[in-house]
Amino acid sequence: MRVIGQSQQAERALTALLSAFAFILVAMGFFAFIGEPPFQTLLAMVTYAVGDSYSLSESLVKTTPILFCALAAIIPARLGLISVGAEGQLYIGALVGTFVMLLAVPYGGWLLMPGILIGGAVGGAIWGWLPGVLRARFQVNETITTLLLNYIAVLLVSAAVYGPWKDLANLGWPATIAFPDASVLPFMFGTRVHAGLLIAVVAALSLQVLFRYSRWGQGLDVLKGNARVGRMMGLDFQRQAIIVMAFGGVFAGLAGITEASAIQGRLQPGISVGYGLTGFLVAWLAGHNALLAIPVSFLIGGLIAAGDTLQLFNKIPASSAIVLQGLLFATALAVPGLIRLWRARRG
Amino acid sequence: MTGRHIALRGINKRFGALTANDDVDLDIASGACLALLGENGAGKSTLMKVLYGITHADSGTISIDGVQQNFRGPFEAMAAGIGMVFQQFSLAPALTVQENLLLASPTAPWLHVPGSRALTAVLEVLARLAPDIDPRSRVADLAVGERQLIELAKVLNLNARTIILDEPTSVLTPTETKRLYGFIETLVADGAAVIMITHKLADVEACADHTAIMHRGRMVHAGPSADLSRQQMVELMIGTASPATADRPSAPASTTPRVIVRKLAADTETSSVANIDLEVCAGELLGIAGVVGNGQTVLADALVGLHPLRGGDVIVDGHSVAWTPKPRIPDGRVAYVPEQPVHNAVVPDLDLSANLGMRSILQRRFWQFSRQQQDADARALLESADVRPPEPMRKAGTLSGGNLQKLVLGRELAGAPSLIVACYPTMGLDVAATRAVYRNLFEHLDRGAAIIWISEELDDLLDYAHRIAVLHGGRIVGVRDWASASRAEIGDLMLLGALPQCA
Ligand SMILES: Nc1ncnc2c1ncn2[C@@H]1O[C@H](COP(=O)(O)OP(=O)(O)O)[C@@H](O)[C@H]1O
Ligand SMILES: [Mg+2]
Repeated sequence: MRVIGQSQQAERALTALLSAFAFILVAMGFFAFIGEPPFQTLLAMVTYAVGDSYSLSESLVKTTPILFCALAAIIPARLGLISVGAEGQLYIGALVGTFVMLLAVPYGGWLLMPGILIGGAVGGAIWGWLPGVLRARFQVNETITTLLLNYIAVLLVSAAVYGPWKDLANLGWPATIAFPDASVLPFMFGTRVHAGLLIAVVAALSLQVLFRYSRWGQGLDVLKGNARVGRMMGLDFQRQAIIVMAFGGVFAGLAGITEASAIQGRLQPGISVGYGLTGFLVAWLAGHNALLAIPVSFLIGGLIAAGDTLQLFNKIPASSAIVLQGLLFATALAVPGLIRLWRARRG
Repeated sequence: MTGRHIALRGINKRFGALTANDDVDLDIASGACLALLGENGAGKSTLMKVLYGITHADSGTISIDGVQQNFRGPFEAMAAGIGMVFQQFSLAPALTVQENLLLASPTAPWLHVPGSRALTAVLEVLARLAPDIDPRSRVADLAVGERQLIELAKVLNLNARTIILDEPTSVLTPTETKRLYGFIETLVADGAAVIMITHKLADVEACADHTAIMHRGRMVHAGPSADLSRQQMVELMIGTASPATADRPSAPASTTPRVIVRKLAADTETSSVANIDLEVCAGELLGIAGVVGNGQTVLADALVGLHPLRGGDVIVDGHSVAWTPKPRIPDGRVAYVPEQPVHNAVVPDLDLSANLGMRSILQRRFWQFSRQQQDADARALLESADVRPPEPMRKAGTLSGGNLQKLVLGRELAGAPSLIVACYPTMGLDVAATRAVYRNLFEHLDRGAAIIWISEELDDLLDYAHRIAVLHGGRIVGVRDWASASRAEIGDLMLLGALPQCA
């Protein structure tokens, strides 16, 4: 049995390697297509992603919200639910966390920071709980509701920062007052990388342990594989649907509040540059494995960060980073399929 | 119609350490029906999947009239006139019968116009095969037997001249089985070759000209059916000496009911049962006879507390099992073997160890860092239930149907339940496995369990049950003691719901 496990792992590693190789080829093709020297541009990208401590730290800054959002998609996926709601949960997390900050600022104190983090987590959880209840009680498709709730969340944040929460000192710029230093997570190594990264990584590791070794995780496996059998064993799909949706929301909510407080310093529209959707894709690439989501998030985070820098120094259009990201997902999803097809043909 | 001859030579197929087909030869002649016999896991389905191009043999050849074939997939096999109806069906339940038929027809246009020529063409075979199925009904609403006929119509629409039926009768009612026999005869008379995988000797006697018998991956006999006696076939199939049929379990010692069902009523969207009154004593085997689709599924689910009741109650040892806060099977007190274990009792994506361990998932401690104990328990259970192969790490989805059935029986009957509800527990099992199931159930009877056994095999019910209740249209229309039960009477109750009026 151990032998089977090892050969499977070897196969997975080989697939990953081939996918990476295919992506490099496709990416070089893309650079050539937009009239850049393919090899140099590729090298430049790697340098801008991990070449020096500044690049590395910027990659890690992007990694944090992506990993959080990936977890928000992975937890429901363990029950077989497809949630694309991380983006909305991120916004509501930021909104509720900011609300706590606005309430508590006059009092200050050490409770401020945990307070806004809990606010973020609760906000995200509510935005996951809602589609969870709709799914559990009324069989409303969770993918549709989470998608629609994303729009509502973004608009709610806009409404708040253009309206009642707008700081007049900003001279018309739609944003709240700045988060006071006491409310912001500590930064690490004197960079913009904040302790949220640590929270995300620890969360991912703990979740994977929960999935594998706890009665809860094993129950999710049963319910996902066959809900009828789960019911026979006394497991409750409805209840778990609500739990995983809300629990997933917690992490997207943390992404939102940490982005707003630590990276942007205030709540304003456009907290996220599609982290929710990126996280969803990362979750799929990682095969809904929370542990694998860590390196995959870093890879994508690096790609996005390098894309930003590339645009700055090499005058490559801003959208290239998004194109590259799309190419990465496309190859990563297509290559395993192509390998299977090739195998089947060979018999 | 020219007769053609298909020859399989030296077919080998391994799945990991398991040899499913070991150097198998088989000849298939047109204008004849060939029965492919063998116990569960003998490799029958695998051999036919090789012929149909779905599974690729490790070695061996297939030739048609001396020309070697190299099917890369079912499409090429279909083009060569080979069609297969699978054990697990491949119909789209949400679509109607005619939509399913059109989907499978290569000549159908992509736009389905009512009354089009393509539509009349695909419905022609169905009309001959099953005139009473409305082509506009949804597949989801049909009984298993009816679905199988649609699968068969699909294959025949492709002009198959060699038709493989994988255990077709295991899901059919006696009437449907008869009709299928008749249909096979027509096909054979037309010059087609029919290969029927089965382990029912009745099937062989009814329509097989030739018989091929497999045992543990090898072909152990092939020749005219008339060459072998029933006894010889059984011996070849199970490889050991003759199986004595099990004895009827001894009469229950007490007459005080252990399980009381009162005015039970429950509904699903498609079926309902009402006014069910039953009492079962300790050590008693109560059979429930009836044609599939008369409310068996919802009755069984309701009896074990899985389906909410509309009214009434189920009382086991003085406790209600139906009105619990959550639909679930009460721990230990009730055991349930649902129909179609592949769909209703196992998680195909999980391994055998997890599938066996999940029975007690709620009693487990929150953390389970080591599966050693669970795996060891699983290994022991797999051995004692004779599941092949007994590998705890194998995914349940890769087991053959009969072995899954054994797995579920082993899991559900492991404890000491007061009530056992078993739906078609021997469906798809071979002779030896069926005997093992009976023996297992009867041991529980001796221990004092009450068993409610839902079955369609009237002969088995008459042989083993202490009493037989007949379910028709969601009601119990009669209960007979085994001593006073007559086959004809119960058959009438099953089909008509009442005894014919005396004039
Ligand atoms: N895809 C598969 N992967 C692994 N094992 C398989 C697969 N298909 C069949 N087997 C194994 O091969 C053996 C023969 O199976 P099968 O041909 O389905 O038997 P049967 O004679 O009951 O139709 C069984 O032990 C089964 O578990
Ligand atoms: Mg089979």
